[in-house]
Amino acid sequence: MKWATRAGMHVDRAGCAWLIRRFIDAQAQFLFVTDPGQVPAHTTAFDMRGVDLSHHTGTDGAEDCSFETILHRYDLSDPVLWQLARMVHEADLDDERYDVPEARGLDTLIRGLSMVATDEQNLHTTALIFDGLYEYHRRAALLGREPA
Amino acid sequence: MFMARADSWVLLSYRLPRDPSTPRITVWRNLKRLGVAQLADALVALPADARTREQLEWIAEQVAGFGGEASIWLARPASLALHGQVVSAMVAARTEEYREVLHEAAEAAGLEERERRRVAARLNAKLRRIKRRDFFPPAERDQAHAAVHALATAADVTPGAGRAPR
Repeated sequence: MKWATRAGMHVDRAGCAWLIRRFIDAQAQFLFVTDPGQVPAHTTAFDMRGVDLSHHTGTDGAEDCSFETILHRYDLSDPVLWQLARMVHEADLDDERYDVPEARGLDTLIRGLSMVATDEQNLHTTALIFDGLYEYHRRAALLGREPA
Repeated sequence: MFMARADSWVLLSYRLPRDPSTPRITVWRNLKRLGVAQLADALVALPADARTREQLEWIAEQVAGFGGEASIWLARPASLALHGQVVSAMVAARTEEYREVLHEAAEAAGLEERERRRVAARLNAKLRRIKRRDFFPPAERDQAHAAVHALATAADVTPGAGRAPR
C-alpha cells in the first residue's frame, strides 16, 4: 500500500510511519508531500490536516495525536504500543496529559535529525529508534522494572 | 527546508459558533498555550516556522471539528512599526509570566531547604512551559532562571535546619 504524509519528519509522523510498517503494512511505501492536494489517489494520508489518520479532539477537549488515532482505528491494543503512544503524545502535543519525561528528549532528537537528513533517511533512522523504544518498553513490561 | 524569517508570520483566522462555549474555551486555551499574538477578534499570529505552522494547523483542524471555520495564512506585516507592535505585545505577555516566576521564587526564598527545592521544581516546570512560547525572550527570562536556580541551590538560611556539609 501507498501512504503519504507531510514533508519534514517529526516525532508523530516518524512514530506513525514506524507503526504502519511494523504493525499494519510491512510493504508500506511512503510519500512525503508539502500540500494535501499532492496526495495521489489510492494513497492513505496520515498526520496532515483534513485526513482521518490525524489529530482528533474528543468532546472533552482532549486531543489525540496521529499515533494514538492509528492505534484506535486499527484496533491495536498492545500495551507496549500504548506506552509509546503516550511518549509520542507528549513529545508532539506537550499538553502534560501524561507524565513521560523522556518525551522531550525524543522530540529534540527527531527535531535535530530533521535538520540534518532527508525524510527518506530519517524514515530509516527513526524506525530504528522506535524499534529500540518498543523493545525497551516490552522488556520493562515483562520485568516490571527498568530493563538494563 | 522551511526556514523561519524574522518578519514572516503564520496566521490563524477562525470562527466558532457562539454556543456551546466549551469549544471556544478549549481553542482559546490551546492558543494561549502556544503564546499567540492576538491581532483581532479570532485572528491570531505566531512567527512562522515549520513547527508553529503545524501547531496552528492542528488548531484549525480542531476548530473545524467543533463545527467552525478556520484558515491558515502566511503573512508579512506591511510596516516595520506593525511588526514591532505585535512583537512588543508578545514580549510583554512573556515578561509578565517571568515576573510571576520571579515573584514566586522571591516568596519561597525564606522557606526551609526541602520546601524550597519543591517550589524550585514546580517553577522549573513553569519556566519550561513559558520557554516553549517565548519567541522574543526578554531580560526577565534570564533573571527568572537565575532566581529559580538560586532557590534550588542556596544553602539553608533557617537556623538549625541545615544539614552539615559532607
